[in-house]
Amino acid sequence: MSDYLHIQDIHKDFSGLKVLTGVEFKVKQNERHAVIGPNGAGKTTLFNIISGKFKPSSGAILFKGEDISGKPSHVLNRHGLSRSFQITNVFQELSVFDNILSGVRSCYGLRYHFFKKPNHNRSICEKVETILKEVGLTDVQDQPANSLSYGQQRAMEIGITLSTEPELILLDEPTAGMTREETDQAIKMIDKVTAGRTLIVIEHDMEVVFSLADTISVLHYGTILVSDTPEKIRNDQRVKDAYLGEG
Amino acid sequence: MKQKSISLITIFALFLAGAFMPSILKQYHLNMLTEIIIFSLYAVSYNLLLGYAGLLSFGHAAFFGLGAFATAVAITHIPGISLWNVILIGIAATLIAGFVLGGLLLRHKGSYFALLTLAFNALFYAVATKWHSVTGGDDGLSITRPDLNLGFTSIPLNSLTNFYYLTLVIMGAAIVFCWYFTHTAMGKTVLLMRENEDRMKFLGYNTNISRLILFTFTGVIAGFAGVFYTFHFQFVSISAISIDMTTAVLLMVFVGGKKTFWGPILGAFVYIILQNYLSNITDRWPLVMGVIFIIMVLYAPGGLSELIINIKQRFFGKKNNNGDKSATPEEVTS
Repeated sequence: MSDYLHIQDIHKDFSGLKVLTGVEFKVKQNERHAVIGPNGAGKTTLFNIISGKFKPSSGAILFKGEDISGKPSHVLNRHGLSRSFQITNVFQELSVFDNILSGVRSCYGLRYHFFKKPNHNRSICEKVETILKEVGLTDVQDQPANSLSYGQQRAMEIGITLSTEPELILLDEPTAGMTREETDQAIKMIDKVTAGRTLIVIEHDMEVVFSLADTISVLHYGTILVSDTPEKIRNDQRVKDAYLGEG
Repeated sequence: MKQKSISLITIFALFLAGAFMPSILKQYHLNMLTEIIIFSLYAVSYNLLLGYAGLLSFGHAAFFGLGAFATAVAITHIPGISLWNVILIGIAATLIAGFVLGGLLLRHKGSYFALLTLAFNALFYAVATKWHSVTGGDDGLSITRPDLNLGFTSIPLNSLTNFYYLTLVIMGAAIVFCWYFTHTAMGKTVLLMRENEDRMKFLGYNTNISRLILFTFTGVIAGFAGVFYTFHFQFVSISAISIDMTTAVLLMVFVGGKKTFWGPILGAFVYIILQNYLSNITDRWPLVMGVIFIIMVLYAPGGLSELIINIKQRFFGKKNNNGDKSATPEEVTS
């Protein structure tokens, strides 16, 4: 059987600036895979390529055996891939409920319908309520997104990411800017809501990485330095030199 | 649920009030009311673009004028054509135009989108001016309204009262449909377009298709209003397709307020009434309109509807105690 997700020799140049120079790693189904690396290593660029925001300059991304590189984001989402953003990227003036609803109804095919009201569909509403409960936002569901606290906005970011029932989830620094306490809570929540799905997460916080991930890939100057279990990464001399050793 | 029944009662009350108007109003005012209803639909269609989707278009008159001209041309060139077929032709013309223009415009955003719509409007205007044999050019086209054929009976529309009732029912129904539309899946997708087009893509929405559907839909609705505009005046001139007609709808929406569904309807009322009375006093009425527009944009960017909501909240207490922030999205979606 082929790998679930295989990033094959991905290159990305931005008009001469080589950001990724041959990224290669594999992700197994139901794995929790973390991508770490110093600032500017190209982590977010890599996510943007996997999620279809950018096209790679060269290379392929095999998702369940099919090359998905360069496909538009909305098509990838319908294939079961969903991502969150490092900088909260939600529908600010809409209510929390409507934010989650936007993904759930998309998943149910209610995107452009002229007559059906998504709020009148019981299974859609139940699904939205389930997600709100999972990410802990039931109490604020009628408030507009821009009235939420930072931690709540981050939780909603994850809620939206989950709302299209993805099988492969990409989380871009889900705990960025959180306090220690908030981070711990967020990790517990992420661990719970992503159970049974494949997760790729970009993270700076080493505690988060080592508590969450089964496999860690270290991205360094546009290429994968090493991809292995947390134990081996911790003791890898190259990683220590490049990244962990600093701290 | 409570909100919903209030809305339904309001709609019913408005239709009922509308039904009694011919026995209350003089012909002159009934004439004005007919015009207001037609322009209300035009303004509502524009607000779906501007207020709901956040797309500033300077080319909405292209659709309005196309609907208006298609009507006049069809009645002039096809003898004995029925009212329904005229409406169908008007809608078909704007549907095709909306689809083609939408297809050309959908990748452009912000000021590029606005300028391209302006350019298309100018193009339509030039065609209407130069294609004398079809559009009548500067002279315009005069028509007589066809009778309303209901199958079992035929109602003459040359009486203003009859035409008023037809306008009230059909334009009113179209406005109600637009209101219903804002609650449907596509209507909610329109809000996503305004809020965050980038994020939509990662939730499985094709933003190009969303834009195309909305642009075509609002174009058709504007064209529909244009059809009735020609019916109403029994005349169409190039002013129907000129930039002035876009400016007019912009004024209506801004004066009424783009944050609510009913704001533009209020705007149409104010605009048409002011226009009628001011043009009796002075030929320079656009000057006064311009000053009003500037004052509104500077001091009441939310338009009259926001002023009314604020006054209501001040005098009738804070019923929805979620604070001011929550008012905005609720109004837009309700």
